[in-house]
Amino acid sequence: MSGTSEETKKFQKELNAGTTALVLLGILARASEPMYGYRIARLIEASAGGVPLMKQGALYPVLRSLEGSGLLESEVEPSVSGPPRRYYRITEAGRKTLDMWREIWDQTKALVDSVMDGGEE
Amino acid sequence: MIRSVDDYLSQLKKELRGCDRAMIQDALSDAEEYLRTALDSAMADGATVSEADALSHIIERYGMPEEVATAYREMEHRITPALARPSYAGEPEEPPKEKDRRHLLSWFFGVFADFRAWGAFLYLLFSLVTGILYFTWAVTGLSLSAGLLVLIIGLPFAGLFILSVWGIGLVEGRIVEALLGVRMPRRPQFHRRTGGLWPRFKSIILDGHTWLSLVYMILQLPLGITYFTLFVTLIAVSLFGIAVPILQLGFDIAININNDPYYFAGWMLPLLVVGGILLATLTMHLAKYVGLMHGALAKALLVRR
Repeated sequence: MSGTSEETKKFQKELNAGTTALVLLGILARASEPMYGYRIARLIEASAGGVPLMKQGALYPVLRSLEGSGLLESEVEPSVSGPPRRYYRITEAGRKTLDMWREIWDQTKALVDSVMDGGEE
Repeated sequence: MIRSVDDYLSQLKKELRGCDRAMIQDALSDAEEYLRTALDSAMADGATVSEADALSHIIERYGMPEEVATAYREMEHRITPALARPSYAGEPEEPPKEKDRRHLLSWFFGVFADFRAWGAFLYLLFSLVTGILYFTWAVTGLSLSAGLLVLIIGLPFAGLFILSVWGIGLVEGRIVEALLGVRMPRRPQFHRRTGGLWPRFKSIILDGHTWLSLVYMILQLPLGITYFTLFVTLIAVSLFGIAVPILQLGFDIAININNDPYYFAGWMLPLLVVGGILLATLTMHLAKYVGLMHGALAKALLVRR
């Protein structure tokens, strides 16, 4: 991304701060098995089409805070190579929260889209 | 320029200086998990790139130490620790001094509604049990490790024992955080994988964290005995004061002193009840305070610097 001004960076950062938790919950709600941080980061990267929208290091603290508020649960499993991994899965409360967030997101998205497209007055 | 994962971790640690030590440990283990997994898969895919090049790509995606440190700092503000009360936000614990007597009274007796006082009380009674377990485990493990050192199974045994000490330290941290409300590590810290068996073993032995955890485990027994004795006595005496009138007036049961029944004079009964209630309340305050002290001790000994 060339020519990114400070303001644009700030905008991206603030937008990410709000959407990261939604994206993480969404990914874990669709996952058929518990996933660890690195795999989640790779999935997000793939979904973004390789565009580095957010620093992946910023995902981990969000995962931990979601776990802290009971929306995710996790367990540590040793891995054959490398340090043990923490596997996250979504809880029932997490799914309910995701439904509510989804609604808010749809409303926000509709609002932004309609403003941007200069839709019906 | 960051040349290795260890480099990155030490820079991240530097960036997080001044933060909560438990949070630093969490952040370091998150980063280590990501970097090492990413590096392993990068090296496995195509070994044409050098490790430093691969690492700089990975760090580009993960974020520089200062970016990651900022993310953790911002997030820590939003995490509510277990059993956190509104006072956690940095407000003073006691109501301001100029408040009238009613407030002082409600503060004094309000301790019964304080989760943390009950949590601390529970922890302090329970510490006798954990103290016995930790002490036995630590002393048995230490002496067996020392005794078996001359045999071939000595080193592996000592290694396993030290791993168990770390595990117990983490579990004790979870108990301390849940019951005493002191922020403790939520994730284990992994040891460097580099080097052969012997250097790794040496680094474990020279690690102050191991020995401090052992000191904590051994200290827990005398502390647990003290806490248990103190608080069981205090609560027993206060319950005695509250129960005497019921036993004496309701059921005609006398207090037995050296096999002689003893009846309290009528005017003493209300005093005993009031004294019992006051003592019970003071005991809860003391439990809360001792809980704070013990939490500070656990943090000093169990959390890696």
